[in-house]
Amino acid sequence: MAGGDKVVINADGKREVVMIGNHLAGLAAVDSGCKLFGGYPITPSSEVMEYLSDALPAVGGVCIQMEDEIAGVAVATGAAMSGVRAMTATSGPGISLKAENLGLAQMAEVPLVVVNVMRGGPSTGLPTRVAQGDINQAKNPSHGDYKSIALCAGTLAECYTETVRAFNLADRFMQPVFVLLDATLGLMHAKAVIPTAEEVKANIVPRKKFEGDPKDYKPYGVAQDEPAVLNPMFQGYRYHFTGLHHDAMGFPTEEIETCRKLIDRLFRKIDEHRDEIESNEEYMLEDADILLIGYGSASLSIKEAVNRLREEGIKAGMFRPITVWPSPEERMNELGKKFDKVMVVELNQGQYLEEVQRSMGRRDIEKLTKTNGRPFSPQDIIDKVKEVF
Amino acid sequence: MARDVLRFTGVGGQGVLLAGEIFASAKINLGGYGVKTATYTSQVRGGPTVVDIQLDDEEIWYPFAIDGQIDFMLSVADVSYQQFKNGVREGGTIVVDPFLVHPTEEDRKKWNIVEIPIITIAKEEVKLVLTQSVVALAIANTYLNLIDEKTLVDTMLSKVPERFHKPNLLAYELGKKYALEAIEKAKATA
Repeated sequence: MAGGDKVVINADGKREVVMIGNHLAGLAAVDSGCKLFGGYPITPSSEVMEYLSDALPAVGGVCIQMEDEIAGVAVATGAAMSGVRAMTATSGPGISLKAENLGLAQMAEVPLVVVNVMRGGPSTGLPTRVAQGDINQAKNPSHGDYKSIALCAGTLAECYTETVRAFNLADRFMQPVFVLLDATLGLMHAKAVIPTAEEVKANIVPRKKFEGDPKDYKPYGVAQDEPAVLNPMFQGYRYHFTGLHHDAMGFPTEEIETCRKLIDRLFRKIDEHRDEIESNEEYMLEDADILLIGYGSASLSIKEAVNRLREEGIKAGMFRPITVWPSPEERMNELGKKFDKVMVVELNQGQYLEEVQRSMGRRDIEKLTKTNGRPFSPQDIIDKVKEVF
Repeated sequence: MARDVLRFTGVGGQGVLLAGEIFASAKINLGGYGVKTATYTSQVRGGPTVVDIQLDDEEIWYPFAIDGQIDFMLSVADVSYQQFKNGVREGGTIVVDPFLVHPTEEDRKKWNIVEIPIITIAKEEVKLVLTQSVVALAIANTYLNLIDEKTLVDTMLSKVPERFHKPNLLAYELGKKYALEAIEKAKATA
């Protein structure tokens, strides 16, 4: 453990650590069996690489600072193709640079964990300030049709647990998985209660592997709702790797039905297994009259606002998507029928608001947004709730 | 227990982050809740830096100090002092390094301004300027009596390399001594 803090195992057998969110994401990578990190320093995510530059070599892994963001994701993609768990971390501007390779990993079905510690944008934006402006980017960082998986940590502990989950989902669905942190969570220093490394290791489900005769190996010849089965390179199981539309062996093709089925499968492998991916938190919703929807570090302010509103007799509650993509559209649809008063609170101009409107089939949803690099204070939320409801 | 809210300010590179981390960790080591957040500009070296520390026996969700509720601020750079002083509640204590921070007469009426030459102590008495963070830590805890001293010092030592234990212990003692002298002086003139 870095930082000299003592680790306590509590009565429930969980670890109590005192760390920043970025280091927790790094620790999660180590405990998840990640063997390669490729990246390039960028505020406010650099501490992920800082942590791993010590911690990965200590467990026989490799941490490389590459020449730029693009090379950072490229080397991680290559490592993942050789069979190991691999990660890169950056902030929004870095995702923009990595976008082409992320599209390749989506198309060729390479499992990767991509941590994005969000800061103010667009462009270089506000490097040291908090934002949640990369929600839409996480849905479609690259061109073309595919389905992203994006997990958004809302507590310090989730910087760890969602990174662990991202590694497992990446191997299960064979594609990049985003872990969205933000400048507040990534850099705040406090206690987090997390599973032990042994517990995490015991729950790792290894990537699927074809064990039959190499002559029969067809990595992309899988059921229409399942991901590709990519055996590690250089172990006798040969396949072709490309960003072009491809057949069961990975060779480029423009055959009409093969092309249709490929993209259809990239969607269905996610859509038909949403129950394995979705994760939400419902806070004080049971008896609530007002529904606040938020995610990431904004949910810390929302929770405090909910508690203070309730002290004044205003029954508010919070719904927090932890998996932001695919969105929990069915649950939000149910909540939209149950609650008249709904407000989305997010540190952008309303990126998730659109998804909430779509899921609920409603336009009459209030919003509280901010894009000046500053967090919401609980009072901001309390004032808005009193103003609009 | 009510929440204790502290703010340390300086410029990037001075090391104000460490004192906040030690406070939060020490409170957690005692079984409570402590949160440290740091805000800085993209001008990392030399830009104004602010560290918020909240300590409570109850869980803390929102991690930043709320302006107007800060009990104690310590500042070692005028640029940050001017930018962040208004977060301190009226009557709160602000410890400043008098060689680097220049409060106005109005400020002295609004807050309890205490002048302790933090950087000079670290530079000339400890002879290691990096220890100014621990001088600041000792001053804050002497004023506020927030954390049992042994826990705080042990936590501090766990975060600095062993070869620097001695100067940091000296820094803590000097910070405490200067703070006690300032408290006595204030009592005498009251």
